[in-house]
Amino acid sequence: MTASSAKQTISLDEWERKMHEVPIAKSDLNQLIMNYLIIEGYKDAAEKFSEESGLTSSVDLGSIEERMQIRFAVQNGDIRAAIERVNDLNPDILDTDPRLYFHLQQQQLIELIRQGKAEEALEFAQDELAPHGEEHPELLRELEKTMALLAFEVTGESPLAELLDFEHRQKTANELNAALLAAHSQPREPKLPALLQLLAWTQDQLDEKVNYPRISNIVSAVLEESGKDTLNAGSTPRP
Amino acid sequence: MAMATTQQQPVQHIQQLQSTNPVEVYSALRTIKNAIIGSNAKKTLYYQLQIIPHVSSLLALDDTDVQIRVQATTIVSSLAHKGEDVAQQLVDGGVMEALIGQVMPGTDAALMEASERALNALLGYKAIRMGAEEHTHTMVPYLLSIITEAKESSRMFEMRMHARVELAVLILEKLCVTEARQFTVANTGAMDLLAPLLQRGYPRLQVATLRAFAALSYENMEISRALATVAHDGRVFPQLVAELARHSDADVRLHACLCLANLSRMRALGDARAVLSVAVPALAKLLRGSDVPRLQVIEALGYLCHEDAEIQMAAKNAGAVSDLVAILAEIESQDGADFVDHARNVQETRAVFLALGTIVSAGEECRMRAVESHAMAHLVRALGHSDDGVKAAACLCTQYIVRSVPICRTHVPESGLLRPLLALVRSSVTSVQEKATAALINLLPDFSPLRADALKEGVVDVLARLVESEHVTIRRNALWGLRNLLVGADDDTRRQIIAHVSVARLSTLAQTGDKAVREQAAGVLQNVTAENEVGAQAVFDALGAPQIVELLRTLLASEDSAVTVHALYLTNNIAVRERSLCELIVGDRGLLQTIMDYARSPVSEAAIGALWCINSIASHRADSDSDDSSEPRFLAELEAQNVQSMLETLLSDPGLCLGVRDRVKSCLDYFSSPDM
Repeated sequence: MTASSAKQTISLDEWERKMHEVPIAKSDLNQLIMNYLIIEGYKDAAEKFSEESGLTSSVDLGSIEERMQIRFAVQNGDIRAAIERVNDLNPDILDTDPRLYFHLQQQQLIELIRQGKAEEALEFAQDELAPHGEEHPELLRELEKTMALLAFEVTGESPLAELLDFEHRQKTANELNAALLAAHSQPREPKLPALLQLLAWTQDQLDEKVNYPRISNIVSAVLEESGKDTLNAGSTPRP
Repeated sequence: MAMATTQQQPVQHIQQLQSTNPVEVYSALRTIKNAIIGSNAKKTLYYQLQIIPHVSSLLALDDTDVQIRVQATTIVSSLAHKGEDVAQQLVDGGVMEALIGQVMPGTDAALMEASERALNALLGYKAIRMGAEEHTHTMVPYLLSIITEAKESSRMFEMRMHARVELAVLILEKLCVTEARQFTVANTGAMDLLAPLLQRGYPRLQVATLRAFAALSYENMEISRALATVAHDGRVFPQLVAELARHSDADVRLHACLCLANLSRMRALGDARAVLSVAVPALAKLLRGSDVPRLQVIEALGYLCHEDAEIQMAAKNAGAVSDLVAILAEIESQDGADFVDHARNVQETRAVFLALGTIVSAGEECRMRAVESHAMAHLVRALGHSDDGVKAAACLCTQYIVRSVPICRTHVPESGLLRPLLALVRSSVTSVQEKATAALINLLPDFSPLRADALKEGVVDVLARLVESEHVTIRRNALWGLRNLLVGADDDTRRQIIAHVSVARLSTLAQTGDKAVREQAAGVLQNVTAENEVGAQAVFDALGAPQIVELLRTLLASEDSAVTVHALYLTNNIAVRERSLCELIVGDRGLLQTIMDYARSPVSEAAIGALWCINSIASHRADSDSDDSSEPRFLAELEAQNVQSMLETLLSDPGLCLGVRDRVKSCLDYFSSPDM
């Protein structure tokens, strides 16, 4: 006997039947979608969706545009413009969040290095980043790592390569977006990814206890009946 | 050349501010604004280039363009974040008046918001809040009008409105810095106006509102009690706040706990459950997390536990004691490390010892938990810390932990506590010396194994010098230490103390000066003369008969009951030893009458003291004190004062407390002797 045969098996029919018994309100679904569109900054989509679903937004849709312009500026490497926009929108944010300010300055340094402006980058690091690091020693480690970009030629294998990766711009943009959302009591992250993570985790937990139709692809969301594959893999061909 | 240009730019920007071209002025302001926001270095640079007079004068001019005002105001707001000295210079430059003018109705919305941010930043410093008295009455109605408008508004989600309401509440919170201003705000109906904001579902606004309530109720019993009855949506304030103490947002939880702590401290909560089962566990959990500044949590916990044994116990049960000690271990492991905010670690260390001291102040179990968590090692290390605040806090914590007799006997001797503590007793820093002497007091009683070591280390000499300190608390503590040393002391120690401090000096200290010092000095005199005749004889030899009688008369006439009780026992100690000394007391009819009066005192401690005196006087025999068959020596004097009759009247009182009753009966035994 295989280990899997010791587990309870739930058929696809039974699973689907039980799923259908769980009530999900359409309004809740709409809220989730709206939440995602707003936090991720899809203003036009959010407005259209609000109109078509009849959902009254509890969030200022007008602010999405401003946030997205700031986000695009960071994603395009124009940190100075992003900082100016943030200061126009809410000048308290960067004065009261030294870590965020540091990360924006760090990104600006990275952009200068990426553009080959070594001298300007060095001056920028001395004038802007070093004083900040002195006041906030817990940021010095990151500062050291960033300064190393000036000292070493960075190749793909280098541990510093991640700083020059465009993914780093996205990371900085996300951090800034989250701070802007939090400043107005909006959630920092959308709820949909968390729900999908919960789904994946729950399935992992269930896998140890029962055979059931699981979703392997969250995009297609097709329920794949389990037990069939397991049975085929374990059976011995009979003459 | 590039370097020179970079350095010249800020100077050029400042010069541009004086341009007659508003576009240039606006551009310069915007550039400066974007340079200084977030950067203390740039704030310093522009501060040194005299930015403050420029922005102050721009704001002072009536015809300054609105857009320019917005930029200048934002610069003010950002500069205010630099520090108190810069903020004060801004205020001295007259920006407050300009800002208040800019928040009045009818002003451009962006300018109003910028002005509120600037006011909020400036009022972040206590000195400026205190100095804002003249502006309070102007600002409060305006702030309340913003809140009123927003209270029922469906537009609350709009970013600008949301920000303005939050800022209005935060400014209101900052204005409540004195009791008078708390009442000014409370009397406007602010509490009922703010309550609904607790349920608007916007965490930042909820935090601001909780902060405002905390500021309103802080150390104010009347407002706290009124707040406990404020209701919204069918629930009273404590219930609303208790719910928020379970909120998913850590900041909301922390500030809700602070509100509950305020109400608890003012005894405004009828039911302690909200504190015991909600606030204490919430704070203990926040202590283990990293979502809110740990320093605030530690301070909140200490504040909540102050002088409440039940809450202290709840904190211990929630794991707070071991968690606080774990924080100390974590900070110590970072000593000397790079990339660590050591200044913050010092603040947290100080706060931990203060909070820990508070939690262990009343209960044996809490103290044992601290010791079991290895707090002693951290305490000893902290006594040698470079920061005076840490040393003082560690002394306070030591003082409370060693209140425990078992801990004093078992854990303290091996801890190595004494030498560093004595070093702090000799410290030149008053705050440290005060706390160190207070801790030392608890190590000197007769049951303490450290007493002998302390004597060897010259503690008598140290305390005797501190009796002459210019600081009252240190004098008091030194005398208290000597008083403790005298209990169960051998004759050598007794003589040593008398030699170092002198009876004459003790007599002076007991009769003049600060009440706390007089009490302790009287206590030292009592203990000097206790146990055997050495001390009583020394007092007689030093003062002589007339001065002893005068001393006793003065002390017994004190309005301070603690002094009179010590005086009664001093009288007893003098009376009980030698007949010749007893004669001094009996020979003074006024003194005897005073003793009689105290015997009838409703204060049982005084009555018992007086009855001991009578007992001691009556115990002397005519021939020999050891011969019970001979007559009481001072019977006639006692009869002349109708002592027996007084005692019998006392005994007939059914309400007489047990301790007094026992003493009365013992005294009456002398009068009912067949020898009489």
